[in-house]
Amino acid sequence: MDVIEINHITKDYGQKRGVFDVCFSVKEGEVLGFLGPNGAGKTTTIRQLMGFIKPDSGSLSILGRDCFREAGRIQESLGYLPGEIAFIDSMSGMEFIRFVGKMKKMKNLGRAEELMDMFELNPSGKLKKMSKGMKQKIGIVCAFMNPAADTFILDEPTGGLDPLMQNRFVELILSEKKRGKTILMSSHMFEEIERTCDRAAIIRKGKLVAVEEMEKLKEGRKKIIEVTFREAAMAEAFAAEVPKASYQIGGKRVTAEVGKNLDSFIKKAGAYTVVDLELRTQSLEEFFMHFYGEGAEQ
Amino acid sequence: MNATLFRKEIKSNWILLVIFLGVLSVYSVMITMMFDPKLGDSLRMMADSMPQMFAAFGMADVGTTLLEFVTGYLYGILLIAFPGVYIIILTNRLVAKYVDNGSMAYLLAVPDKRRKIVLTQGIFLLLTLVLMTAYCTVLILAVGKMLFPGEMDTAGFLRVNAGLLGLLVFFGGACFCASCICNESKNSSAISTAVVVYSILVQMISQAGEKFENVKYATPLTLFDVDGLSAGDGKAWLMAAVLYLAGILLMGTGILRFCKRDLPL
Repeated sequence: MDVIEINHITKDYGQKRGVFDVCFSVKEGEVLGFLGPNGAGKTTTIRQLMGFIKPDSGSLSILGRDCFREAGRIQESLGYLPGEIAFIDSMSGMEFIRFVGKMKKMKNLGRAEELMDMFELNPSGKLKKMSKGMKQKIGIVCAFMNPAADTFILDEPTGGLDPLMQNRFVELILSEKKRGKTILMSSHMFEEIERTCDRAAIIRKGKLVAVEEMEKLKEGRKKIIEVTFREAAMAEAFAAEVPKASYQIGGKRVTAEVGKNLDSFIKKAGAYTVVDLELRTQSLEEFFMHFYGEGAEQ
Repeated sequence: MNATLFRKEIKSNWILLVIFLGVLSVYSVMITMMFDPKLGDSLRMMADSMPQMFAAFGMADVGTTLLEFVTGYLYGILLIAFPGVYIIILTNRLVAKYVDNGSMAYLLAVPDKRRKIVLTQGIFLLLTLVLMTAYCTVLILAVGKMLFPGEMDTAGFLRVNAGLLGLLVFFGGACFCASCICNESKNSSAISTAVVVYSILVQMISQAGEKFENVKYATPLTLFDVDGLSAGDGKAWLMAAVLYLAGILLMGTGILRFCKRDLPL
């Protein structure tokens, strides 16, 4: 069953900004990554799901309810993390969490306390004085603390978190997934989505490029490996063996894109003396170009 | 109405209210205490020395009774301008500020309709206006009773205050509407300030001389007819009713617009 349905929505802000004919859905119990570079239309789509703005055309629904007209009802079982965290600055973190809990008509803050422990959050200070990471943690607590919520919409959830906390966040998503919750999370980083999501919807310049199984996307994703050899001759010989390798004559370094052929690449390199190895994953833009070819540009 | 939000607004705004009540108390008590036929003479002498200035502030022909004295000096401008400033600040805080800084997202991410949230804010505004008017009424009546027992025409004074509340509801409605339709709090403040300052300024001009008398039809303040209300004049009641109605309509318009429009959250 589709929990979140987005039906051919268009919201045109002029100058090619906005979203155009975006159409995808999130199934019950699924974690869907909403992937795209900055300014691609992720937040515009999420705002429409939250009922903050109306689409020019098309429709959105969550659990069969219209996202604009029935926003109040939808909120009974929805957790939301805004992309731009804006709290009521005069409150302390704990006051704010309590306030949001009461606004959501929650009976107790048991789950909120669990989450605060999980993210090592001490919310007693004033929100105004908090760092971006602290605020993000408070946002996460507010999004997940309602036990009645079974659908989550998260806009760039790990922004401002350090790697340790990013890992905690991944654990949180995986455990919510195990409980059967439905999650839509946006990101401009592939890695973040890769570890948690079943599928990804990819948006670019306001248009949906693809909705793919995560496995398929991973396969299509190439890594760029830069190997430095002890001698230039080794580099030259190696470059001749590997397809699509770039190598400067006289240099000791070979750069190549590696996908499924990782194993053979490593073994071939192992025949020579490797001094250094650097690994870089493709940026989202590079990835698009490879996955969809040059045609993706249009 | 959302009780949690209402309590939050009380907590955030009580200091603002107390400050304005304090200022209003000082003026109300001072002016009321000054009522004294002899002192009234000296004030009148001052008024005679610069008639235009006094006229502009609506203090032209202040009468001899306590009611005329108090309404003449307080209800011409002081009890309009100070609450006006309060209304500008509060209405901006109640809606536009939340939208501007984005925290409205948290107020709307709750299992309530948008209408209920914004209606709570409107009710909060109206209740504080009632409180403010009632406070001044009771304070002036009490001081009057203490210092000049039997001098005050209480019924007439209550009628004037009912009219004053109408005027404040009108300003409140207009400013609240501005707050609901603006994405940025500076635009909301600008519109609200323009409405209040324009209304007061035009009235001052209309009172400054006979040449400009007809200008009075261009300000809502004319609908607050102090003398007519003191006398219990039917037409004055009708005008006050127009203020109430217009204020509520403006507020309703703002609320409806807020419920239907796109919010930049």
